[in-house]
Order: sequence, then C-alpha cells, then structure tokens
Amino acid sequence: MPFSLPLLLAQSADDVVREIARLQRNYEFLSYGLIAAWIILVGYVLMMVGRERRLKREIASLKAMLEK
Amino acid sequence: MREKLLYILGAAVALLLARDINLIAGFPQEAQQGAIFKIIFFHVPMAITAMLCSFVALLASVGFLMTKNFKYDAVAVAVTEVGLAFLLGNLVTGSIWARIIWGIWWAWDVRLTSALVCWLLYAGYLMLRRAIEEPTQRATFAAAFSIFAFIDVPIVYLSIRLFRTQHPGPVFFTSNGSFPPDWTAAIFGPLGTLMAMMLLATVMTFVRLGQENSQRELDSLRRMAHAL
Repeated sequence: MPFSLPLLLAQSADDVVREIARLQRNYEFLSYGLIAAWIILVGYVLMMVGRERRLKREIASLKAMLEK
Repeated sequence: MREKLLYILGAAVALLLARDINLIAGFPQEAQQGAIFKIIFFHVPMAITAMLCSFVALLASVGFLMTKNFKYDAVAVAVTEVGLAFLLGNLVTGSIWARIIWGIWWAWDVRLTSALVCWLLYAGYLMLRRAIEEPTQRATFAAAFSIFAFIDVPIVYLSIRLFRTQHPGPVFFTSNGSFPPDWTAAIFGPLGTLMAMMLLATVMTFVRLGQENSQRELDSLRRMAHAL
C-alpha cells in the first residue's frame, strides 16, 4: 500500500475504504494520462510513416511514367 | 547517413524515456495530490517542447519572409506540425489531471483557453497551407500567419503570472514552489523528460522535413508530367 497521509489519519473503516478508492482512482487516471500522451505521439509517428510510404510510392510511379 | 543518425537518435530517445519512466515510478507520491501528480513529468515538458517548436516556427517564418528561401518554409511547417502533436499531448494530460484534482475535465480560465487557442491557431496554419495551391503564395501567407499565431505563445506563458487562474501558478525555479531538487532534475536535468521530449521533437522534425522535401520533388514531377 503506498504512503498516504489521509490513510494514516483515518478515523473509521469508511475513511480507509474512501481513501483506498481515491488512491486507486489516482493511479487509474495517471495511467490514462500516460497512455493518452503516448497514443498521441505514437499516432503521429504512424501518420508520418504512412505519409512517407505514400510519397515514395507516388514519386516512384511518376518517375516511371516520365521515363516511359 | 542522415537516416542512420535519426534511427540512432530515436533509439537514444527511447532509452532515455525508459530510464526516466523507471526513475519517476520510484518517486514517492505527492502528499496532497497522490500518484496523479506524476503526470507533471510529461505534462510540463510537452508544453515547453511545443513552445520551443512555435518559437522555431516563428524564426523560420521570419527567415522565409526575409529571404524567400523555401528551406525556411519547410522548417516552419515541419516544426509546427510536431509542436501541434506535443501541445495536444499537453492539453490532454492536463485535462486528465484536472478531472482528478479539480473534479472537472476543463475550465475556461486564461491558461487553458489561451493554450487551446494556440493549438487552434497552429491547426489553422496547417489548414491554410492546404487551401493554397501556388507554392510562393502559400509559403508567404503561411509565414505571415505563423508570426501572427506566435502572439498567443507569450500570453499562454504569462497567463498564470498575470491572471488569477484555476491552473496553478509557477512552481519551478520560483520562491513560491516547493518542488524537490531530484524531481526538478527528473524534468529539467540533462537526462530528464524535457531533454527526452526535445530530442523526440528534433527527430520528428527532421523526419517531417525529409517528407516536405519529398513533397516538393513530387510537386515538380507532377508539373513535368502535366507539361508533357
């Protein structure tokens, strides 16, 4: 169990349950934040990879057409 | 050679990020906010990286208007697109953090609103580029728009200093904050998350720059094909 001041100061079982729920919610949202940040960056990288492929394909086909 | 260098730099960024995440996972929770506070280690570097990208875009835009050299235009568009991705990451991580700490996803305060306006302005810059066909006209209008859009960046930066906002005031390098030195180093240190984000942005910008050059080659090939 991670350190938590409210958990140490808890007066009743309800306080403990509430604090544990708060800590879990904290971790849950921290993971959402990190996942969202990486999805955005990885998504942008994938978008660039797709664009790179399209550009190479189009340049190759135009060059082939001009050579003919 | 350039591609190899970019791959090496990309691998270095991945290693640096893995090291930082491992380090941050070992930090204790913040006393008031708990674990969610650790989002700051990515939220702030993303904002600073986006801000630096917009500054480079400003310099490149001024450079284009002064010289009419399309290399500057390519730098401006590459760095703007990369900065936009980082600013989006900053806005989303901030919103998720706000949901826990403020109980709401979004507040229309000066910092958040000006950051959103900044994102919309730079998204508008990219849309403007798509709307203009003629390259010189496109680059000139886009450079002027980029300089105009940069006006919002100091507003975003100063908003928490000049206005009372829901967003907290500055905590780094001020007497108001009480950020532990090892936590500050995890962001601003030579191996911190800010360095990792800036390196990542550099790699992305160079890749995007290469694509911009390919796009110009494609445009000239199209013109040749059209002329035949």
